Amino acid sequence: MRKFFPVEDLARDERFNQATNAERMADTRGTSNTGVIRKARSTNRLTPARPDATDAARSLMHGIMVGEIQALEGAGRTCFDFVTGEEAPFELKLDMARQCWDEARHVEISVKLSEWMGTELGQFVENTVLFAAACSQDPVLRLAGVNRALEGLAIDVFTTMKEFGELAGDPYLAFCEDWMLADEVTHVKMGSVWLRKITENDPERRAKALEFQSVVDKIFSYGGLRSESDESPILLARRFRELAGFSDGELSEIADVSLAALNERREALEKTFATSPA
Amino acid sequence: MKVTVEPSIFSIVKYDADEIAGVAKEMLTLLGMKSTNLTIEVDETVAMSRVTTTMGDPVHVLAMSSAFENLRKPRTFSADNTKFSLGRGLLRVRDRLTGNFSDAPVDEDLSIVEAATWETYCVGRLSRLGLKVHKQRWHYNFRNRHGFNDATDKHFETIWESDDLTWSQLTEISRHAIA
Repeated sequence: MRKFFPVEDLARDERFNQATNAERMADTRGTSNTGVIRKARSTNRLTPARPDATDAARSLMHGIMVGEIQALEGAGRTCFDFVTGEEAPFELKLDMARQCWDEARHVEISVKLSEWMGTELGQFVENTVLFAAACSQDPVLRLAGVNRALEGLAIDVFTTMKEFGELAGDPYLAFCEDWMLADEVTHVKMGSVWLRKITENDPERRAKALEFQSVVDKIFSYGGLRSESDESPILLARRFRELAGFSDGELSEIADVSLAALNERREALEKTFATSPA
Repeated sequence: MKVTVEPSIFSIVKYDADEIAGVAKEMLTLLGMKSTNLTIEVDETVAMSRVTTTMGDPVHVLAMSSAFENLRKPRTFSADNTKFSLGRGLLRVRDRLTGNFSDAPVDEDLSIVEAATWETYCVGRLSRLGLKVHKQRWHYNFRNRHGFNDATDKHFETIWESDDLTWSQLTEISRHAIA
């Protein structure tokens, strides 16, 4: 079986259409800030009070579903790509195998939730950046990029969706997101524990991994998707991140990166509005 | 019927003004609104699917770019999505022209509950006109605005199956669905 599978070769059926992160970042359109939208919203946070809440929640749920597929593929690759004992401890692989089990269950739950919300599989574009972060040649970088940065984002996303379900009175959404959130906290904690353990006597490797995590965090903060500002659809879930092993310093750093990304996006949008015909 | 699309050339999304006008004419014909003139303004800076209409001659349609977008391939055009988005907006215009919706707020002032109720009424009729509709999407939207229970579902079905409601009848059903 082939090792180190490139993102371009991910298997999908004809229902799915994939886009790279570069393509996503080339889309300069906003989802707020124009007169009619500003009038209708007091916040961009994804809550049922937003006029576009149902469609925004459906789109995010589809993003979660394809993210779960890629997380399954990524954890599976980590089980197989590295030589046991020499490149990755057996216990680490065991944790990744457990994660595969969780992610497979999450895929099934997300598919059912998507159907419940009226979404067809493949209805929205699939961003492949999650699996791209799982293609590193170093298992420690995968732990940093996927388990800590991306699964960390999943904590924020699931917390927001769980609250959305509670506010809307959707019993299935709130219940399912709560259970998946518990798994995500475990996945992030696995990343935190293994990152510290493997790099215990290798500060250079640890620094490189944390730098990679910071880069992935910044990529996923693009557009101000997640921050502590009301202008972001998704709130940084500090409490659950603490439970997953993030220190106060790390949380502050993520908050700063997210805010910077939000400001960059705001400037880009202002530029778009200024240059587009009235 | 006369249909004008603004802008005539798009710079952010890959849409064609003539293609949009063609789809609009097709929908006006399908909905029995051949005497209606339209100005369609597309805001290509916003990736949302909102469509609002303002009565007049021509009727003004303001569409955010995702209303006409192929969501599988961002920034590209979808004739199906355009038909569907325009169809919902134009049915509201047709309802207003009957006089039975004279007490309805203008599109921009509709509450999220009112908007969800009227959308349900419009999409149900579009499905019977042969447009491809994913009913569950609209059912979920209605539940989000009215509640997740059997009584709400029953009221949703009443609105979905109806063809000749007035604004006061629609809002009355919506009130019962929330109660």
